[in-house]
Amino acid sequence: MTHATKAIYKLLLSDFVKISKVSVDDMLYDEHDIARTMEKIEVIDFHQTMEVNGIRFWCYTAGHVLGAAMFMVDIAGMRVLYTGDYSCEEDRHLRAAEMPHFSPDVCIIESTYGVQIHQPRIMRERRFTDTVAQTVSQGGKVLIPAFALGRAQELLLILDEYWEAHPELQHIPIYYASPLAKKCMAVYQTYINAMNDRIQKQFEVSNPFDFKHIQPLKNIDGFDDIGPAVVMASPGGLQSGLSRQLFDIWCQDKKNSCIIPGYVVEGTLAKAIMNEPKEVTLLSGLVVPLNMRVHYISFSAHADFTQTNAFLHELRPPNIILVHGEANEMGRLKAKLITQFAEQNVKILSPKNCQTVEMFFKGEKIAKAVGRLAEKSAKEGDIVSGLLVRKGFTYQLMAPDDLHSFTQLSTGSVMQRQSVPYKGTFTVLRHRLQQMYEQVEVVTKADSPTLKVHGNLTVTHEGADYVILQWVSDPISDMVADSVVAMILKLDSQSMFAVGGGRAKEARLEKEEIKIVHSLLVSLFGDVTLDEEHQSLTVNVDGIEATIDHVKRGIECKDENLKDRIKVALRRIQTALYPLDA
Amino acid sequence: MGTSVQVTPLSGAHSEAPLCYLLQVDGFRFLLDCGWTDSFDLSLLEPLKSVAPTIDAVLLSYPDTIHLGAFTYAFAKLGLQATMYCTLPVHHMGQMYMYDHVLSRKAVSNFDLFTLDDVDTSFANSVQLKYQQHYQLQGKGEGMTITPYAAGHLLGGTIWKITKDTEEIIYAVDFNHRKERHLNKTVLENFVRPAVLITDAYNALNNQPPRKQRDQEFIDMILKVLRAEGNVLLPVETAGRVLELILHLESNWAHQRLSYPVALLTNVSYSTVEFAKSLLEWMSDSIARSFGSSRENSFLLKYLKLCHDRKEFDELPSGPKVVFASMASLEGGFARDLFVEWATDSRNLVLFTERGQMGTLAKKLQAEPPPKIVKVTMSQKIPLTGEELQAYELEQRLKMATETEVDLVEEVGPNSPEAKAVTGPLPLTVAEPGGGVPLGVEGSLATNEIPSQRQILIDGFTASDKTAGPMFPLYENPSDWDEYGEVINPEDYRVEDTEMMDYQSSQQAPVADVEDNTDQEAEAILADRPSKVVVKDYTVYVKCALYYMDFEGRSDGRSIKNILAHVAPIKLVLVHGSAEATEHLRQHCVKNVCRDVYAPRIGETQDVTSDLCAYKVRLTERLMSSVLFRKLGDYEVAWIDGEIGSQESEGMLPLLPSETPPPHKSVFVGDLRLADFKQLLATKGIQAEFAGGVLRCGDAFAVRRSGGSQQLVIEGPLSEEYYKLRDLLYSQFYML
Repeated sequence: MTHATKAIYKLLLSDFVKISKVSVDDMLYDEHDIARTMEKIEVIDFHQTMEVNGIRFWCYTAGHVLGAAMFMVDIAGMRVLYTGDYSCEEDRHLRAAEMPHFSPDVCIIESTYGVQIHQPRIMRERRFTDTVAQTVSQGGKVLIPAFALGRAQELLLILDEYWEAHPELQHIPIYYASPLAKKCMAVYQTYINAMNDRIQKQFEVSNPFDFKHIQPLKNIDGFDDIGPAVVMASPGGLQSGLSRQLFDIWCQDKKNSCIIPGYVVEGTLAKAIMNEPKEVTLLSGLVVPLNMRVHYISFSAHADFTQTNAFLHELRPPNIILVHGEANEMGRLKAKLITQFAEQNVKILSPKNCQTVEMFFKGEKIAKAVGRLAEKSAKEGDIVSGLLVRKGFTYQLMAPDDLHSFTQLSTGSVMQRQSVPYKGTFTVLRHRLQQMYEQVEVVTKADSPTLKVHGNLTVTHEGADYVILQWVSDPISDMVADSVVAMILKLDSQSMFAVGGGRAKEARLEKEEIKIVHSLLVSLFGDVTLDEEHQSLTVNVDGIEATIDHVKRGIECKDENLKDRIKVALRRIQTALYPLDA
Repeated sequence: MGTSVQVTPLSGAHSEAPLCYLLQVDGFRFLLDCGWTDSFDLSLLEPLKSVAPTIDAVLLSYPDTIHLGAFTYAFAKLGLQATMYCTLPVHHMGQMYMYDHVLSRKAVSNFDLFTLDDVDTSFANSVQLKYQQHYQLQGKGEGMTITPYAAGHLLGGTIWKITKDTEEIIYAVDFNHRKERHLNKTVLENFVRPAVLITDAYNALNNQPPRKQRDQEFIDMILKVLRAEGNVLLPVETAGRVLELILHLESNWAHQRLSYPVALLTNVSYSTVEFAKSLLEWMSDSIARSFGSSRENSFLLKYLKLCHDRKEFDELPSGPKVVFASMASLEGGFARDLFVEWATDSRNLVLFTERGQMGTLAKKLQAEPPPKIVKVTMSQKIPLTGEELQAYELEQRLKMATETEVDLVEEVGPNSPEAKAVTGPLPLTVAEPGGGVPLGVEGSLATNEIPSQRQILIDGFTASDKTAGPMFPLYENPSDWDEYGEVINPEDYRVEDTEMMDYQSSQQAPVADVEDNTDQEAEAILADRPSKVVVKDYTVYVKCALYYMDFEGRSDGRSIKNILAHVAPIKLVLVHGSAEATEHLRQHCVKNVCRDVYAPRIGETQDVTSDLCAYKVRLTERLMSSVLFRKLGDYEVAWIDGEIGSQESEGMLPLLPSETPPPHKSVFVGDLRLADFKQLLATKGIQAEFAGGVLRCGDAFAVRRSGGSQQLVIEGPLSEEYYKLRDLLYSQFYML
């Protein structure tokens, strides 16, 4: 809300708490609640642009009352204007509602006055001052029941200026009898910059809200009811309070006047006396004749049909949503606007309370390519790959390296150094790796034997018991690293086995070897006899014999075919037994 | 492709001279500030002279003399035509500064550089903006947006952001990062990587004591002098930092229930405070809050007496008092008078709250050690008396007679003769500055024979030369006749139905001029009474205490460096600051902020066009439907592989999903602080400690940053814990 609104908000709600003397349980809220809301309020000045979660909004002067604002909300380029209560007519202290520079996609607009048309302001003011002047010059008293805020200040300005210009009236006192209005005066004296140029001009001389001819009136006891006077008192509906007390005293004298300066709620005394009944009931219950003259001069600062129509015609929103207005009045306004906007394709809606209006807008998402990515200007068919960064509703496209330059984000990297126990020889490891992976290079310059796998992962043999794996993290490298680790572990467990037995183990393997070869050959060829003494094997296939000298790896066989088969088999067995020797 | 940007200092580069810079953005010429000194040295404006008529827009950042002092003069005399943009308080307070200058100069000399009317006209040609109001320039500047942001230092102080397409240029001088009594701190820190930042080096070498300590010392010092029956003179700027000082003093006076009189003595003191009262929405949150909750306007001052002239001031109760008086430079205004008066009493104190401008009396007095004797030239305007007066009147009358003659020929109307006659320029005689001896009036006026006949004429009444003797003017009203009689003008007979408005305008009439009442009075005195200027040289033996305390409300060197490092502009331009300070900050920034740091000299045009490239593409629905964003603070990030499609009828090139995305290296996005990681580990029940910049986790693991780079290193033996740790580390990044 605006600064002025915040100041008034506090006054108004506190006043409500004070006057609503109901039981604590029925109380809607109390002072404490108000104080808590005060902390939550963010103030915004007119035209100041705020941004929350990428949604931008700012406000325009709305007229109506000090601090009133129309909000424009911009969500990813889609704009909605909410007028709230507004008035396009400049009055004595307020600016007229501003016309936004661009047309919104949706305009949510009030329709309080529907198709009614106001009398020109000059005429109204004239009627008002004439009535007041006439009454007091005949020795009568003028009662103006008005709400403490908004119109009250406007009327006081009119009266003060009128008195200034008419010295003959200056002996007649003007009072405003509302503690709230008195408090509000400080707000009006301060937020001069939210008012119109006329007030600002005057302010350069003296504060126009330092009234020269008007005094505040605390209560009826302090009021010396002698001779003519003008009193503005709240409440506006004459339900109770000071305005009613004065009304009760003055209503029987036909010299006196009561001016109702604006909208009054149905069911109040003020509404009732507008029809000029013969009699009225006093607070005391007495029924007395109503002789006082009653005038209704509307100073209401809401837009009338002429203003609404002109406003919408200039604004040209494709969607209009009517809110805040009595149903019939709104219906008439809607019908009239539909005929007015018949040629243009304008949607006009008047949803009921709690009825959601859904509209779909297709926003264009525009990304700005910046930095290295944009070094070449774009043309059709170019491939653009990079980071798409969204902040609010703006998109930027950039190379990862530029992330740091254009955003507060940064890219990082994680280097991993893992030590893996390995007691085997580095050659074995190298061999295994070369078998398993496509790119294994030997780094020659390193202090300790180092291998580079897949261009990223380095495996270093440091000390006798460990290898160090080092790589820069990314999903592929992590996977490679994990598989290398798995392999090393396996290798290590095998070599553990080998190392544990020492040379004896190897000898045993040699002894066993022939047995293994034998059993494997049996599974392949069936009839194979083992001659352990000569370390030879005899294979008999379909009557053809072949002798294998295990030590010399020689094969004697008349049939070349079989010889080849055995040769292949032996090679495979060899590979299976000594995979690293191949 | 890019936007071309050039900066040319016109004043205030490699020196503490007033600020005035020319900024060209694609040929559109901004004048950034338009400052002058209190001594109104015309030679300072030489560089401005040639460019003034070519300026397209003027951006003012503060209402004080060194930021806008020359604006009125440039507008009136140098052909500056451009619209001026500023915030509302700068507009109001800036006028106060200029009024005060004109009035205090006029009171003692024949000041003719500019008049009150010039001030009004120059300020009338302006657009007042709110903070964060995105104002789109029209016409030549189409496509450019200027936005003011809060800068602190002075009420309404502004950082300007100029945006064109993708370029952001920020002009931020004299900002204050500290929150103060009446002002919020600057929002400069919210900007991230602007293309160009223009800032000052004025305070680069200064450091400030903590605010609390300084505030206390300030009050203690004043009270000490007052209790010893001395007076305290605070030479201040008209409507700038004085607001902060007033609040400070007020709160202490209220707190300690002091009764020493405090006075604000400037020509515009009433208006200044009155404006301050109505500008609460521009002040600090605490002021707004106190008004919002209790409607107590902080500038509803209880102790401060507002004085407009010496008479009002002299009427204050006698005894020790505190006086805020303008000008801060002691070059003019009441502060100069009071200084000469009070300096000779050792009980008094002259307390400077800002550094004096170069070459001014204030600067001389702030020297270390303070001078014992200063020579002060005082001038005074005294009304003419006796023979001089008669001679003057004669001269006037002769002059008027000839003028009126011309007028009469030019236009015939009932009002013209007297109107013209009164407003004719009044030449005042200047006396030559005398020698060392004070007192005595040197300079005389030639006396002439006075024709007795003419003596009966009063001012404003002039005799036509066509008549033999003086007579009342007679105007024949020739009327046309036709066959129906006299031809009338129906307008003359129409009854105005806007009588309503009449009383209003009649009330307005005498004050329709924007000027303050006091201004009029002062002017009336000056204009009506013939006077002459007397110049005297005084030798002032400075016995009073002199002291300087930094209440300038500017960020100090260290904070400036921090802020610059945070904002990290792509190109940086340094202006305003002594050569030493500029060089110091330049070297610091080259090392720590960015490579492109420039400090152009006066008249030297520095090109700061950014070499950044950019283009825009439209993100198609098809592409966006397959993009998965990851949230990271305010940002959302995704990797996309797109292909530029064919351009449709108009608008931007669309970006379609690529059929054959090339492989890319994965990117880790995020910035992990080890301290944060330690906390995270603690929540997961892993012991972690820092040891020599390395975070030791558990028994055998270490996480560290490798050599100042963005790279983190995680080390440890193969184990289950290793992978757990790694997963936690990964969870702090986004892998794309």
